[in-house]
Amino acid sequence: MMESLQYFLISWLDPQLLGLIALGTFAGIYVGAIPGLSVTMAASILISFTFTWDIYPALSLIVGIYMGGVYGGSRTAILLNIPGAPSAIATALDGYPLAQKGEAGEAIGLSTVMSFFGGAVGIAVLAIAAPTVSEFALRFQPRDYMLLAILGILLVGSLSGESLMKGVFAGALGLLIGAVGLDPLTAQERFTFGIIDLWGGISFIAVMIGLFGISEALMQLHHIDKLAIKQAISRIIPSWRAVRKFLPLSLQTSAIGVFIGALPGTGGDIAALMAYDHAKRVTKDPEVPFGHGAREGLVAPEAANNAAVGGAFIPMITLGIPGDAVTAIIIGAMFIHGLNPGPMLMIDRPEMFWFIVGALVAANVFMLIFGLTGIRLFVKIVELPRPVLIPLILLLSIVGAYAVSNRLMDVYWALGFGVFGYFLKLYGYQVGPVILGVILSRLIDENWRRAIISDREDLGGLLWGTLSSPLSAVLLASVILIFVSQTPLWGMAGRGWRRLRG
Amino acid sequence: MKTRVLGAVAALLMAAAPAIAEYPEKAIQGIIQWGAGGSTDVVMRSITPHAEKLLGGSVVMQNMTGGVGAIALKYVGAQAADGYTLLMGAENPQLYKVMGLGDSDYSDFIPINLIARGVPLLVARPDAPYNSFAELVAYVTAHPNEVKFGSTGPGGLPSVITAMLTSEVALPVIAVPYDGDGPALTALQGGAIDVMPAVLGLAIEGIRAGRLKAIALVDTTPNAALPGLAPIAEAYPAYAKYLPWGPFFGVFVKNGTPDAVVAKLQAAFGEATQNPEFMAMIEGRGFSMLNLSGDDARAFLTNWQKTTAWLVFDAGAAKFSPADFGIERP
Repeated sequence: MMESLQYFLISWLDPQLLGLIALGTFAGIYVGAIPGLSVTMAASILISFTFTWDIYPALSLIVGIYMGGVYGGSRTAILLNIPGAPSAIATALDGYPLAQKGEAGEAIGLSTVMSFFGGAVGIAVLAIAAPTVSEFALRFQPRDYMLLAILGILLVGSLSGESLMKGVFAGALGLLIGAVGLDPLTAQERFTFGIIDLWGGISFIAVMIGLFGISEALMQLHHIDKLAIKQAISRIIPSWRAVRKFLPLSLQTSAIGVFIGALPGTGGDIAALMAYDHAKRVTKDPEVPFGHGAREGLVAPEAANNAAVGGAFIPMITLGIPGDAVTAIIIGAMFIHGLNPGPMLMIDRPEMFWFIVGALVAANVFMLIFGLTGIRLFVKIVELPRPVLIPLILLLSIVGAYAVSNRLMDVYWALGFGVFGYFLKLYGYQVGPVILGVILSRLIDENWRRAIISDREDLGGLLWGTLSSPLSAVLLASVILIFVSQTPLWGMAGRGWRRLRG
Repeated sequence: MKTRVLGAVAALLMAAAPAIAEYPEKAIQGIIQWGAGGSTDVVMRSITPHAEKLLGGSVVMQNMTGGVGAIALKYVGAQAADGYTLLMGAENPQLYKVMGLGDSDYSDFIPINLIARGVPLLVARPDAPYNSFAELVAYVTAHPNEVKFGSTGPGGLPSVITAMLTSEVALPVIAVPYDGDGPALTALQGGAIDVMPAVLGLAIEGIRAGRLKAIALVDTTPNAALPGLAPIAEAYPAYAKYLPWGPFFGVFVKNGTPDAVVAKLQAAFGEATQNPEFMAMIEGRGFSMLNLSGDDARAFLTNWQKTTAWLVFDAGAAKFSPADFGIERP
């Protein structure tokens, strides 16, 4: 126990390490805020850069970047409606409407505090229950991933705005966009029309930048003469009352975040969207409707995506299995530094585990500090006159789309989807479901096929397997329950129940 | 007029000469064919920093996955042949032609260094009811189409090993495709699949911890990293003719890259393989060092292609005959 504490404090007691974590977190917030610049990219560049360093300083920097980057995505999502990272898509849904009402400062303050809570929950689960959670995560079979993805696709119901039909159409379109490219399992060409540039599929970050950033800039052209919204900056640090009010929700969605983060193959983006859906489901009477600046819709995804950071470390550190792309890179870094990440790491080198936990806690604290300072300056961005703001959004979007993989092709996609997204919005379609479809497309596709292949291409066998495994059965039941709850059947059942009782 | 043109050409040459001498004058892009955390990724990320120091420039590495690595190959093939885009790949492209994954392979590239070779082995989940290859064959024969083999798509290592195994014994199994060997080994630990042909280097930590069970070493001699595991050729001498066989990792540039650039890259990566830290990593992970470049590398690639292409074709796993592409039977 004393030893664990000693290892935990390594990064806290060494000013150099602490400085590197602070630097990493600070840089991460800004890397995360710029769409297209991803934490994954920053981390993989840092691996080569920190190669000659010792493992501790290298990990300190990467952990900082990771924590800061996941949080940073919310900045641009709230201020400009451009999610800086996929995990901030859900944040934009209610964060941006808040900024449009002149409450950007409060929105950023609240999201920072909730990100801190989420991060803390994620780290706590990592420190206390890592082996248990990773054993559970490993048990997910292809059919369970498939059911999880179907559960995700049902979020279309929460994201589709006024018309469910339009939402379903947009979601299906997203699934189709995600199917473009070489088949991930058999390498057959799908919707590529012989064009090699399409082999790798359509970059989903480019789609996201187009649908959110560029289409937003085009929409704003309608109001070019209107004055910019004056932002209230009196209240930045949320009141204790507000924090207490949202604490139960943020704890629930943090739990979702940790778990989705711990599953290899799913990460903060899906976690945040599921958290948003959960918030919508459990909040009976929001002060403001969802999609128009509900604070619950901001709190839930922000807590979840930062909780997913701790979650992603769980399988990595206990089993050497990456929870997401960033932890995969950290595994590579450990190899390079002569460690052998795997099931034996916790036994052979227990100090690594506690060092990472300690560094994550430090990064989480720095995130809170850096997040709450400088808000006043940031909020000024939204107060810019539109003739300045619109080109700025376009510039940020184009640079971001190019930065994804230094390909001009992605810029064209972003511009194309920007124009397309503009028309979608004009005709009352939401862009959220499109992105959801693109994110989940591959998860559904691959796992459905893996599941059915595993059961000898026998649908009956797959169904039996699903019903006989408690995990799959619970997931299937949730899918059915959530599906039915969105149909008129639910209301009829509710009335029937009340009649029976009364 | 003529002198003017000559003058211009001379000026251009003079301008170009120092540019080559100073290579690299900007960041080099390294395209890794497989995902982060996989075998190829780990080898490339470990060797490149050493090579960077010797090159005096930076190499920015990026994972470009998909299409059994074909997307990365196509991408590098579409870039200028100036040595600023390196392909950091595995063995897969040598099978693209017979697998119907395009008409390109490593003959369109200059090998900078074939770094190391992996030793394949069969691993199973720890509670599987078989402990050796003979027992696996007996079990599969008794329970046809029940055992699930992990796969990484057509032309991936598991598909080749499965083709090799089925060339001598009947193995009616289900092949479940995954995105790469990393995710497939994860699925193996979770019990979603039963057996996986994998590289020793990636499976070894799982084996040491008892989370995976090594069934057979697909090699002719035992391996120092796993003493006590019998090589498959001992009990089944018929396999000896294919062995030693293994996936390899190499760095390539497009054909037509200036000789001076190729020479500089070859020197840097060649020396980097001899770095003690890198050598320790390669050995510890159960890889065998190759360090081949130039004609040796070409010969290795041709040989590997002959053996493997015909192996998968004879097993009925290929789309086209190697003969269609002028690949001779070994």
